[in-house]
Amino acid sequence: MAAAGIQLHPACRVRQEGFGLLFYDSRGPRLLFAETGKLLDPDFFNSVRRQGELPAGLSEREQSVLGKFIGLLQERGFLREQPIC
Amino acid sequence: MSNRFVEEGLRSPVNLTWEVSLACNLRCSHCLSSSGEPAKDEMTTAEALDLVEQLYEARVFQVNFGGGEPFMRPDFEEILAACHGRGIMTCISTNGTLLDSARVERLAATRLVAIQVSMDGAKRETCDAIRGAGVYDQAIAALKLLAKSRIPTSINTVLTAQNAAEIPALHDLAKELGVSLRVSRFRPSGRGADNWQSLKPSPSQLLEFSEWLAKSGEVRTGDSFFSLTSQERQGLGLNLCGAAKLTCCVGPTGNMYPCAFLQTERFQAGSLREQSFQQIWDDSEIYASFRSLRIHSCEECKRFDQCHGGCPAVAWHLKNDINGGDPECLERCVTSIADDGVKESAA
Repeated sequence: MAAAGIQLHPACRVRQEGFGLLFYDSRGPRLLFAETGKLLDPDFFNSVRRQGELPAGLSEREQSVLGKFIGLLQERGFLREQPIC
Repeated sequence: MSNRFVEEGLRSPVNLTWEVSLACNLRCSHCLSSSGEPAKDEMTTAEALDLVEQLYEARVFQVNFGGGEPFMRPDFEEILAACHGRGIMTCISTNGTLLDSARVERLAATRLVAIQVSMDGAKRETCDAIRGAGVYDQAIAALKLLAKSRIPTSINTVLTAQNAAEIPALHDLAKELGVSLRVSRFRPSGRGADNWQSLKPSPSQLLEFSEWLAKSGEVRTGDSFFSLTSQERQGLGLNLCGAAKLTCCVGPTGNMYPCAFLQTERFQAGSLREQSFQQIWDDSEIYASFRSLRIHSCEECKRFDQCHGGCPAVAWHLKNDINGGDPECLERCVTSIADDGVKESAA
């Protein structure tokens, strides 16, 4: 069975704003404003990522905060599971 | 909705309305842009495709196409394809009369398009009285074609005095057809201004609609009713006008406006023939004035946090004052009905 990764839902988009990331879900439509600053590049979500994968070079605290945030995005349907192999 | 982030200003709109042409094969009595003949000097194909590139650069998420009837533009599918090629999501507002199975099949090939078919009554006679003879049947035929495709489809209805009682039946019709229902607010712009008195819903109709909407969470409103939104729908959408903050409008000749209902010279933010999209979004004084707009006259209202003064376009068209507060907000509907009750008792 293919391992599960995560990817931005096809109905969703993300871009960088001054405060952080702005997510858009065309199914609502609805918006999610994430005060992530420059911690996470929007391109991070444009390819399939392994569960728990985060950009390199983050502190432990940043990893913990972003890990929770990515979980929230999954819970709210902005990200969805995707086979990675 | 986080108003703080919105009021700080976004790098570009989240979505925008692009009225690609004023050409229309119908003459609906509530048309916001008095469509019929194409505007003089509408954007060329090259200009339209260049705008798509600018929207991509600006990271605009979605373009909502309207008009006029967008399919009256011979190059409309080319413009759509350019948007989809850049990953921009699109929504087309159409009267449905120019949709056939071949066109629906072509549109369905992308997963980036949604379609709204305009229909202004659950009964043929109600709809055709507003949109023209035979239009109801053509819209139903288009909806049936679309329902068979994978294109997310909705009936789009403008709430008027004539169809207000038919909204629940329209909802049932939408469910029967396998599509969703979206209800838009009637605003006194274009031919809608000429026919405002005869078509505008009464305060009691607006109140009744607001109560029905509260129980119908799956019905979309494009947030055009945020000034009427009851507590039950709070959290589903906006609590303030998004013009020049979250959205804007591009007219058929490349002029930009805060929203589709304010396409007048007074509110022209700039021309894409003179400036770039990003320059207009960033630097327009008109947009700056909308971003800093505060409806002080409404601040004491108990519903202020729910609508922040409502729709400036309605305030402008009815009172010639964008600072005046929405004359058709929920609070004013309730007050108006109460006043009428007092007058009747006194009589």
